[in-house]
Amino acid sequence: MVTRASRVSRGLGAPPGTTTRGRLLLAAAAAVPLALAAGCASSPPARALSAAVTAARGGGFPLTPGPGRQTLSETGSTLLYPLFRTWAVAYHADHSQVTIPTGATGSGAGIAGASAGTVDIGASDAYLSSGSLVQNPRLLNIPLAISAQQVYYNLPSLSAGTHLKLDAQVLAEMYQGRITRWNDPAIANLNPQVRLPGTSVVPLHRSDSSGDTFLFTSYLSAKDTGWSNAYGYGTSVHWPSIAGRPGLGRKGNPAMVAGCHQRPGCIAYVGLSYAQQARGLGEAQLQNRAGNYELPSDASIPAAVAPFVSSTPPNETISMIDGPAAQGYPIVNYEYAVVSAKQPTAARARDLRAFLHWVITSGQSSRYLDDFGSGPLPPSIPGFQPLSASVVALSDAQIAEIH
Amino acid sequence: MATTVMTRKAPAPASAPARLRTLLIVLVTGCLAWGVVAGWTVSQHAAAASDVVGTSEPLSLDARQMYRSLSDADITATTAFLSGVAEPLATRQRYAADISGAAADLAALKAASAQPQAASLSAIAAGLPVYTDYVARAQTWNQAEYQSPGASFMQDASEEMHLVLLPAARSVYAQEGARLTASSAQATGLPWIIVVLVLAMAIGFLLLRTQRWVSRRTHRLVNYGLLGATVALVIGAVWLVAAYGVARADLSRGVGHGSAPAETLAQADISAAQARGDEVLNLISRSGDTSFEQDFAKVRHELGPGSGSLLSTAAASSSGEPGARWVAAAGRDARTWYGVNQHLYSLDLAANYAKETQLVVQSAPGSSAPEFSSLERDLGRAITADQAIFSDSATAGRDAFGGLDGGVIVVALLMAAGCAWGLSRRLAEYR
Repeated sequence: MVTRASRVSRGLGAPPGTTTRGRLLLAAAAAVPLALAAGCASSPPARALSAAVTAARGGGFPLTPGPGRQTLSETGSTLLYPLFRTWAVAYHADHSQVTIPTGATGSGAGIAGASAGTVDIGASDAYLSSGSLVQNPRLLNIPLAISAQQVYYNLPSLSAGTHLKLDAQVLAEMYQGRITRWNDPAIANLNPQVRLPGTSVVPLHRSDSSGDTFLFTSYLSAKDTGWSNAYGYGTSVHWPSIAGRPGLGRKGNPAMVAGCHQRPGCIAYVGLSYAQQARGLGEAQLQNRAGNYELPSDASIPAAVAPFVSSTPPNETISMIDGPAAQGYPIVNYEYAVVSAKQPTAARARDLRAFLHWVITSGQSSRYLDDFGSGPLPPSIPGFQPLSASVVALSDAQIAEIH
Repeated sequence: MATTVMTRKAPAPASAPARLRTLLIVLVTGCLAWGVVAGWTVSQHAAAASDVVGTSEPLSLDARQMYRSLSDADITATTAFLSGVAEPLATRQRYAADISGAAADLAALKAASAQPQAASLSAIAAGLPVYTDYVARAQTWNQAEYQSPGASFMQDASEEMHLVLLPAARSVYAQEGARLTASSAQATGLPWIIVVLVLAMAIGFLLLRTQRWVSRRTHRLVNYGLLGATVALVIGAVWLVAAYGVARADLSRGVGHGSAPAETLAQADISAAQARGDEVLNLISRSGDTSFEQDFAKVRHELGPGSGSLLSTAAASSSGEPGARWVAAAGRDARTWYGVNQHLYSLDLAANYAKETQLVVQSAPGSSAPEFSSLERDLGRAITADQAIFSDSATAGRDAFGGLDGGVIVVALLMAAGCAWGLSRRLAEYR
């Protein structure tokens, strides 16, 4: 089996691996069951995968950075930024020779920087597009954590603790300007117990190219044929123009949250890591494939990811939007580090491998995933979720390709 | 040379019988040696010409066919995925035929290919099941109406195709093309044929000198044995030169008007298929901002028509040949297709995926799919026409060597026999 990661080290069109790294990837890849339908229920063959990881470590996987001073720059996803900054600070505390400056510039800028070599790690909410890979086949996307996207609304008249139920059809109608008021019968039908105000709907969207837009429109496209046929999904989409509602675009997650606070009647999709800043806004329950309405939580996010763990391919490019889990939250995703497999120096490669390996092992502790930004999250707000062992093994196999 | 030998073997004043005996040995040995060298040289050229017709050309066709099958499988699978949940039976059958065709071509190439292709062929052998597995997963998710995971598996599949399989198949094709050119060059190469002709002239010179010496010593005007050997030598040399000249002319025409333009057109076909694959994949893979527009601009420049482009180069080599009109048609198709593509990318920039998808997938005139099909069809016709020229010329070139290897050996034996008979009769007169 030739994986993207293995072909990076050998060059395009090279034969399948005979190197240690190649064998490691083969082991990891072979450990992922091929049968998709069965894969939804089967558990990953953990022993084979941990053997692959052990092989990786035995094959010169650095567990600590080198003694020399090193700067590993990161930029990209605003969603991952608070967590990445926390990791960077903690890692520097343990290994003072390594400094990791971080930046919240958007996933697109992260990928472009990693591709051009102007930044060591590009953070992205979405996996690499084929266009980026064809342009630079040496790029890897390595999951670092699991995240989810929350849909917020600003309806002050609703009591705290009310979580409106929304489905993709209603959201699509709102974003197309067909549902213009919150007491529309379509919303009322989903929420018979709630007294809805007649406030105008203000659907905010990201004006920059964004992984969040990719996730949100993927959910709309998966569930609503009309949306799929008319607008589709992507990091940018041709948003419908809504009469009398100009200026609905916002750049970055912080601006989406701030915009929603300012505009009663707003609805906005925002990465989970801004839950603290979004406090006071309403949090919608989203309808999943089974017809259940779910909030993102420490239970519903891992439940949504579980059916995809065993079928995650060796290059870890996979969409988990609107999966089959009955109790799963429908908009979940891997947060990716985009790095080039070919680094300018051996020392840089070694330190990158050590840091990324630390992120996907020690960095998965709840003291980082639940405690980024201004302190531990309250129990009602879910944090980032840790990667499962088999995905860690796949990520380690990709990390081993960095040289 | 003969004088030197005679001087060394028979110190002056040499007796006439001794000199005759020496001449007999030298001439018989020389004729037989010439026969061996000429026979070997002819067999080398004939084998190379047969290799062109029987091995290199079919393998080159297999390599091109494998690339086309892989590329068509990718375009068929991605287009069907974009078309919706229910894939038409015809589409599924076309995809299955492409995959089994590619596997069969791969097996033929693996069985017959030389070492340089082994790495690329192994990469294809390893990557093909990975690709089909991703496609199967994409179809399974999609049929269960899990569109988003389905799309990511289709992206995985297409990336395997674009980053592993197609570059390897392209490399196999290039290597097989180089092998075909090398075989043609070997069939018409000069060095050994010149050695054979120089040797023939040397033997001819020796025969004439011997004839003159014998007629002076014996006062007989003609030695019929030596005359027969000389005539046989002239016939052999003329046959050799004529066959070689005909083969060289045929194979040169085959390369210049057949395989070279076919190779150029095949490159054009590969570039066009790659650009069409990019168009479709661009609609499935939307997790980033990088479109394939830059690649397409590059392909457009390479493909032409335009100065130095593949289509213009092919048009120049096909001028006056049956393929010329298809090359001209391909140039017109390419221009129309570029127009559609330009429109596609303006829709892509505006993130107007709905219209973009329609324009990529649908089969109505003016959409990308039928325009690309026209281009592919006309390129295919032009390639077939050029390949027919190559095949006919290469076969004629190979046939020109027919019977020559046996012929030169018979000629050499006749020459040796003539020398032996003519000189031994004179020698007998001294007893």
